[in-house]
Amino acid sequence: MRNIFVIAKNTLKLEVREKILYGIIIFGLLYIFFTLFLSDLVLKELPMVKSFGLTGIYFFNAIVALFLGTTSFFKDVDRKVVYFILSKPVSRAQFVLGKFFGLCMVLLFASVILSVAYIGLILYEHGGFDTLGLLAIAMQFLEMALFLAFAIFVSTFSSSLLSIVYTSGVFFLGHVVSTILDAAKQIGLGGMRFVLVEILYYVFPNLEKFDARDLAIHAVAMPFTSFALAVAYAAVYIILLLSAAIWIFDKKEI
Amino acid sequence: MVEFSHLTKAYKKRVAVDDFTLSVDVPIFGFLGQNGAGKTTIMKIIVGLLAPTSGTITIDGSLATHPIFKKKIGYMPETPYFYERMTGMEFLRFCDELFEGGGNAQAHYEDLLKKVGIYGARDYEIRTYSKGMRQRLGFAQALVNDPEYLFLDEPLDGLDPIGRREMKEVMLDLKKEGRRIFLNTHILYDVEEICDEVGIIHQGKLLYSGSVKEFCAGKPLEERFVEVVEAHEAQKA
Repeated sequence: MRNIFVIAKNTLKLEVREKILYGIIIFGLLYIFFTLFLSDLVLKELPMVKSFGLTGIYFFNAIVALFLGTTSFFKDVDRKVVYFILSKPVSRAQFVLGKFFGLCMVLLFASVILSVAYIGLILYEHGGFDTLGLLAIAMQFLEMALFLAFAIFVSTFSSSLLSIVYTSGVFFLGHVVSTILDAAKQIGLGGMRFVLVEILYYVFPNLEKFDARDLAIHAVAMPFTSFALAVAYAAVYIILLLSAAIWIFDKKEI
Repeated sequence: MVEFSHLTKAYKKRVAVDDFTLSVDVPIFGFLGQNGAGKTTIMKIIVGLLAPTSGTITIDGSLATHPIFKKKIGYMPETPYFYERMTGMEFLRFCDELFEGGGNAQAHYEDLLKKVGIYGARDYEIRTYSKGMRQRLGFAQALVNDPEYLFLDEPLDGLDPIGRREMKEVMLDLKKEGRRIFLNTHILYDVEEICDEVGIIHQGKLLYSGSVKEFCAGKPLEERFVEVVEAHEAQKA
C-alpha cells in the first residue's frame, strides 16, 4: 500500500511539471472564459451557459485523460525508468496501481481548476452556486478514471500511438453502444446481428451512464440509484481493467 | 554467497543464457563478455526484472525471488534512464521511499551524492545532466538502501578517466565495508584492476570463472579473452 502511495505521489509530482498539461488547462480556462460571450448570444439563458461550460470541462478533461493515460505508463516502461523501480521491493501490481492513482490525482488537479472557473462563471452570470453542475463534473471524473484505466491497460501491450487510437475508439464506442442497442431493439433486429450488438454493448463500457450534464443543465437532481449504479459500474470496470493490466504487465519481458 | 544453478533464459528463437551454473563468494566479481553475451540478461534475472526459463539463483541460501532479497540489493541498470524533470536529490528520495522504512534524512542523500561526485548538481533537473553525471546518479541510487549486494551493469561506461578512477575508488571503499559487488563490463582494464574473480560469458554460456591472474596465465587479459572466445567458436564449428 505504501509503495502505491509513493508511486502515485511521484506520478502527480512529475505530471504537474509537464507544460502540455498546463497548455490543455489554459485552453480549457479560455473556453470557459469565452462562454461569458457565448452566453450573450443565447440571451444569458442559464441552461445554455451551463451546457457550454460543462461540455468544455468534459472535453478538456478527456484530452488530459487521453494524454496522461496513453503516455505516462508507456514512457516509464519504454524508457526503462521502471528498472529502477521494479528492482526495489515493488511489485508490478503496485506499480500499475500507483500509476493509476497518480494519474487520477493529476486529473483531479485539472478538474478542480476548471471546475473553480466554471462555478465562478455561473456565480458571476447568475449569482447561484451550481451544486448539480459539480455533481455532473464528479460523474465526468468517474468516466475519465475509467478512461485512464483503459489507457493503462492498453499501454501494457501496445505503443503510445496505438494506445491513443484504441482508447479514442473505446471512448467513441462507449458513448454510442447504448444508443445502438436501443435502436436494435426498436427496429426488432434479430438473430446473430442482435447478438453481435449485445456483445458490443457488454464488452465496451457504457459511458453514457456517467452523463449527468443534461440533468444538471435543467436543474434536475440525479436519482440516487442512478448515481450509485454509475459509481459501482465504474468501480467494477476499473477493477477489471486494472486486473487485466496487472496480469499482462506481470508476464511482460521488460 | 551467490549461486546460479542451471540458469537458462530462452526467447522464441534465441537462448540468451544457456545452462549457467556458478558459485560466487568474493567481494568483487566481474562478468566479462562481448555485447550481447548475456551479461545484462543474467543481471536482470538476479534483480527480478526478468524471469528465468529454468534454473535458480540463491543468495546466502535463499532464493533470489524472495521479496526480502530486494531489500538487500542495489541495482544500477546499463545506460540508466531517469525521470528527466526530477532533480538528482528528488530522484534519490523517491528511490529511497520505495523501501520500507525508507525516506531517510536529507543528509543521507547528500552524503551519497558527495560520494559519487555530483553533490553540486543535486538541485538541477536530471535532463541537464551529462552522461557521466547520469552514471553517477545511477550508482548513487543503487546505494540508497545501504545494500549488502550491489549489481552494477556497465557502471563505468560513459565516464571520463577521472570519473572512472573515482568510481573505482568508491567500489573499493564499498568492498572494504564488506559489501559484495557484481559488475558487468566489457572493459578489460577495469576488470583486471578491481575484480577479485571474473566470469567469462559468451553466447549465454560460462566459459571460465576464477581469478583474473589464473585466467591470464602470464598473458594480457585481452589476448586471453580473445583466445578463449575463439577456442569456443572453433569447438562449436
